[in-house]
Amino acid sequence: MNVTITVNGEVRSASVPPETTLLVLLREHFLLTGAKTGCDVGDCGACTVIVDGKAVNACLMLAGQADGRTVTTIEGLATREGLHPLQKVFEETGALQCGFCGPGVIMSSKALLDEIPNPTTAEIRNALAGNLCRCTGYQKMIEGVHEAAEMLQSTTTPATLATKTPATPALAALPQR
Amino acid sequence: MADDVMERDVSVLEKERVAPVETLRRSDEALRLPAVAPPTALPLEPPLVPQVGEQTRAVGLRAQRPDSRNHGLGLTRYIDDIALPGMLFAKIKRAGVASARIVRIDTSKAEAMPGVKAVLVGSEIPVNSFGPSLQDQPLLAAPIVRHAGDGVAAVAAVTEQIAEAAIDAIEVEYEPLPGVYDAIEALKPDSHKVHGGDTNVYASKIIKRGDVEKGFAQAYRIYEGRYYTPGIEHAPMEPFTSIADWDANGRLTVYASIGRITLARCDMSRTLGIPISRIRVIGTVVGGNFGGKNEIRHEPVLALLAKKAGRPVKGRFTRVEEFVASTIRHAFTMDYKTGVTKDGRLIARQVRMVLDGGAYCSFSETTLGKACILSTGPYEIPNSLAEGYVVYTNKTTAGSMRGFGAPQVCFAYESQMDEIARDLGIDPIEIRVRNMFREGSISSTGQVLHSVKVKESLENAVKKFGWEARS
Amino acid sequence: MKPFGYVAAQDSEHAVALLAEYGKGAKLLAGGTDLLADLKLTPHPPPAVMVDISRCADLKGIAITEAGLRIGAMVTHSEIVNSPLIRDTLPALAEAALSIGAVQTRNLGSIAGNLVTCVPSMDSGPTLLALEASVTILGPSGRRTIGLADLFVGPRKTSLAFGEILVEIVIPKRNVGKPTGFQKFGLRKGQALALVNAAASFWAGEGLFTEPTIALGAVAPTVIRAPKAEAYLAGRPVTEDAMAEAGRIAATEAKPITDFRATADYRRDLVAVLVKRALLAAHGRATPNRKDIAS
Repeated sequence: MNVTITVNGEVRSASVPPETTLLVLLREHFLLTGAKTGCDVGDCGACTVIVDGKAVNACLMLAGQADGRTVTTIEGLATREGLHPLQKVFEETGALQCGFCGPGVIMSSKALLDEIPNPTTAEIRNALAGNLCRCTGYQKMIEGVHEAAEMLQSTTTPATLATKTPATPALAALPQR
Repeated sequence: MADDVMERDVSVLEKERVAPVETLRRSDEALRLPAVAPPTALPLEPPLVPQVGEQTRAVGLRAQRPDSRNHGLGLTRYIDDIALPGMLFAKIKRAGVASARIVRIDTSKAEAMPGVKAVLVGSEIPVNSFGPSLQDQPLLAAPIVRHAGDGVAAVAAVTEQIAEAAIDAIEVEYEPLPGVYDAIEALKPDSHKVHGGDTNVYASKIIKRGDVEKGFAQAYRIYEGRYYTPGIEHAPMEPFTSIADWDANGRLTVYASIGRITLARCDMSRTLGIPISRIRVIGTVVGGNFGGKNEIRHEPVLALLAKKAGRPVKGRFTRVEEFVASTIRHAFTMDYKTGVTKDGRLIARQVRMVLDGGAYCSFSETTLGKACILSTGPYEIPNSLAEGYVVYTNKTTAGSMRGFGAPQVCFAYESQMDEIARDLGIDPIEIRVRNMFREGSISSTGQVLHSVKVKESLENAVKKFGWEARS
Repeated sequence: MKPFGYVAAQDSEHAVALLAEYGKGAKLLAGGTDLLADLKLTPHPPPAVMVDISRCADLKGIAITEAGLRIGAMVTHSEIVNSPLIRDTLPALAEAALSIGAVQTRNLGSIAGNLVTCVPSMDSGPTLLALEASVTILGPSGRRTIGLADLFVGPRKTSLAFGEILVEIVIPKRNVGKPTGFQKFGLRKGQALALVNAAASFWAGEGLFTEPTIALGAVAPTVIRAPKAEAYLAGRPVTEDAMAEAGRIAATEAKPITDFRATADYRRDLVAVLVKRALLAAHGRATPNRKDIAS
């Protein structure tokens, strides 16, 4: 079957067998290997991409179900101007170790920040519950999402910065489990 | 020759260079993606080697991983992100039975399937065994299956889907054999012997210090307990993935997410019967190891499939295979007997542990050794005796995993420490402080210890987790 | 995955027509979170053709209708979580939806998919059952409406006939706004199946349990009601002791099994605790003016 999707701003088409998942379409047909095959059954989140604004497991969506939709993958975040704040902060905070879960975690975090610009720690935990990581223990990721949220807010709406609470809410919010 | 231009002095135009070549080569960070992270500047002036009791200067500094820029961009190439021209996909058929003899394998249907380029069974492998200490593990079981995750045949096909269909089409007839599924059962004389012979115990270790009987005789109280820890899968996010590729001169290149390159080359050289110099292993970025990617797993199978097919072959474990066909952490059964004085000093400890090694040895010897050495804990005990045994069972092979047996014994001795503290009415922190290693302490192996920071570590931890505020 | 065909249905009528056209080899594909994972893991042959209904517009939408609160079959769990209407009238439904899987699977998985997969531990079941929801089914011979309890036949078995599709779930008007609590206990907070889940609902008019309903998941072949516990509560003054006793009675009505996740005894104990907590949660929502929303 023919599938046409808009990936990272570009319209891409492919002719694939109907049982092809979105993950296989992205990785093998479009050579966008950022989304990973971790468990292939929707448990690990390593294949997370954003489809029409929502984070989904690309391994649980058929390519046909994505036909005509807009897909953002990890490859679509950085621009010529620089890294996405999440990418920058994850690098700086050490939120990525082996890195295999990283693209999925960053895409889940991006979907969260697109919806809730200044999430609470509980909201971040909820958003990342579908992304398994065996290296980091998640703390630095949560810290990173808080920091990236601050960066995004200060760049997009500098006026609100002054009214915002305190210097490092990221760290302050961490211990509550 | 008169006036030969070649004999005249040559003047060279003196021109100032705009920039030395090093500067010209330097790229503009802002214009380049992915940019290489700036090198982390650690103030590493001499002495680079810390002296006893001295802290290295890197501690406490935030260092950036040099590879994390690409991780975040999704540009890091793990094995599964690599595709070679003409590459085939391999699948291994798993036994699905824990203990059996293969009576018959019929691969004809698989071989006849369009798109199948190579089929392999155990009997075709030059040396069908591997292992870091005992070479007791077959690459593909032939003819004895010792656990459900044993491979029995492998296929390389043009797509993963065809390879899957092909392994389904392979018919295997098994003659069921008795099995043993519990480490304590495996110790018994009449248990099924996984590898034949007259015992399932394949490694043992005894570490002795002082005289435990004398110690127990002097003890105010003696505590005995049995502690058990289960097997644990490493579950790295990246499943085992490798690519095998031969060149026209019979040299093998293997792309593998493996932590020990040279060990892998040794094992492959042995199993394939070719010199190590003809094997190149390209270790890429590993998507999580945790001790589970320390030895070869399916690489020689992929190599043989690639040789048969004359094309590169990629193999990737499914998540299910990760659990049944990789190694796991050893399950431990530990008997602890500890004699203490009235004021809570440990004066004798006897430990007897049985490790469930699963079907094959893997890193069991290393794990057993470390577990025995550490089984008395970070405590100075004048009389100790640690005995450990690893047994075969018809279960997933146990191998190396973070700590090599250290976490298991830690669970046992710290659990017992709490029981002793509770019984004697001593604060759990206090009883540990009374017994812990100090500078110059002698361990259960007779080692004189230096740079001992146990007390500081505990005090720090007590402060951090708010021990004083406990209810 | 093994090869199969794929066809996207335009709407529910089209889906029914496609099912009739392709016959027994056809299978409905909703969110796909269970179906595709199952296809990858099980050795069973795949369907000949997948009829994708995930984008049928007439199976979407959450609205108050003549009959009550209508939830389209293909409404995703995330849409339930984020629906202001549901959050306002029946927050327990949003809680139940939030307890399913993780964000990525909630964005794909649908409420009808959760119901028709019909595993006893489904998290959508207890709340809807406690609220006496009905489901509308469309088939070759037209529409029919049945009570949700009549949809559940056994583990992974519903009363849907071949060629029928579930098109909507309706919570009757009298129960929209009814104070309801949902409780789930899994081995982890995220991405865990329920060891036990429970929902309870009642009006607390004049301090008495009125029309109390209790539903339990993962403790019987299907999601079940606990009629004895409900009968015990009916007409009794609303007290914590009565809630605890209702939990104990509900535990005797559960028929849990022992599996690798938990023992039957443990599950029975959980029923007692979770029913009481669900009743307490419902009580927390039982404000006098709530009933106005329903009328």
